[in-house]
Amino acid sequence: MILAQLLENFDKDVSAHTTIWIKVILVVLLVIILRAFLVQRQLLIAKRLSALGMFVVLLLLVIYPDVSNSLAHAVGVGRGVDLLFYMSNLFLLLLIVGQWRRLNILNSSITRLSRSIAIQTARKPADNKQTDDK
Amino acid sequence: MAQQSVWIVIPAYNESRVIARVVGELVQCKASYNIVVVDDGSTDGTNSAVRSLPVHILTHPENLGQGAAIATGIEYALLQKADIVVTFDADGQMRREDIDKLLAKLSEGFDVVLGSRFLDRRPEGMPLVRKFLLRLAVVFTRITSGLRITDVHNGFRAFTADAVRKIVITQNQMAHASEILSEIARNNLKYCEVPVGIRYTDYSKAKGQSIFNFFNILYELLTRGKK
Repeated sequence: MILAQLLENFDKDVSAHTTIWIKVILVVLLVIILRAFLVQRQLLIAKRLSALGMFVVLLLLVIYPDVSNSLAHAVGVGRGVDLLFYMSNLFLLLLIVGQWRRLNILNSSITRLSRSIAIQTARKPADNKQTDDK
Repeated sequence: MAQQSVWIVIPAYNESRVIARVVGELVQCKASYNIVVVDDGSTDGTNSAVRSLPVHILTHPENLGQGAAIATGIEYALLQKADIVVTFDADGQMRREDIDKLLAKLSEGFDVVLGSRFLDRRPEGMPLVRKFLLRLAVVFTRITSGLRITDVHNGFRAFTADAVRKIVITQNQMAHASEILSEIARNNLKYCEVPVGIRYTDYSKAKGQSIFNFFNILYELLTRGKK
């Protein structure tokens, strides 16, 4: 049933030439972003896969915008845009928490690094006397 | 009893105007303290100001905060086989005579001795707002850690080596003072307070924390990351 709806929507959208360009632009941008994800060698396979999954979902939403509407109705949200808004908010918050954790870890490793440098390069009282004599 | 080695840790960030005088006074003390100045990435020549003095100088490559500087100084002192570690401020607020008071109390069998500005008398010239906020912090500490102390943000402390080894400081900025107290509580260390004098000079007032920092400290404590 959904498939039939998709095909119907596709026909409708293709016939509207004014909306096709924004779709082309969005799809091109999505491909560029996906490529940026995939060329990162150190990225874990799980992250690559989730990026790929996200790409497919976004691609579908761009090509068939009405899908988000029917999805929203299915979960009891008024409009597809609203659903996307909630999801992207949630996603961004998750991202921020993740970055925050990373930042904390980074901070403590910088602290440990600085500490070991400070201790290795310590000036003892004898060193100070030597500079006095000069 | 063998002579105990006492290490005084002085965190310093951009204190070039006063550090030489403060450290110089400590050097002239009759007792032979080992002094560690931790230069927390100063950019004003704090480091060279103390180079002519017979002290240990540790230098953070970047500014990390007072908590990190104290932790660095303590780690170094322990590596040098310190028996007792004292933390002391670089801004000239603290009186060196009080070090002996802390050490005397420590030798009575305490693990930690904390300096207090409020234990037996009113501090002279302390701004009213600061007095109020410190009182609030006392209540906060009593609730969160169960420690009954009168002055929670005093940087004047003496620890035995065994005690200070158990205290883990993860707070790089000002919240380390509260963290040290909760570590004392967590490790069930035997602690007490000793009245110390404090000098509120114009310099120290300008250098000291603004009232808004109270909120920063609270924020740091509430958002503390895992070690």
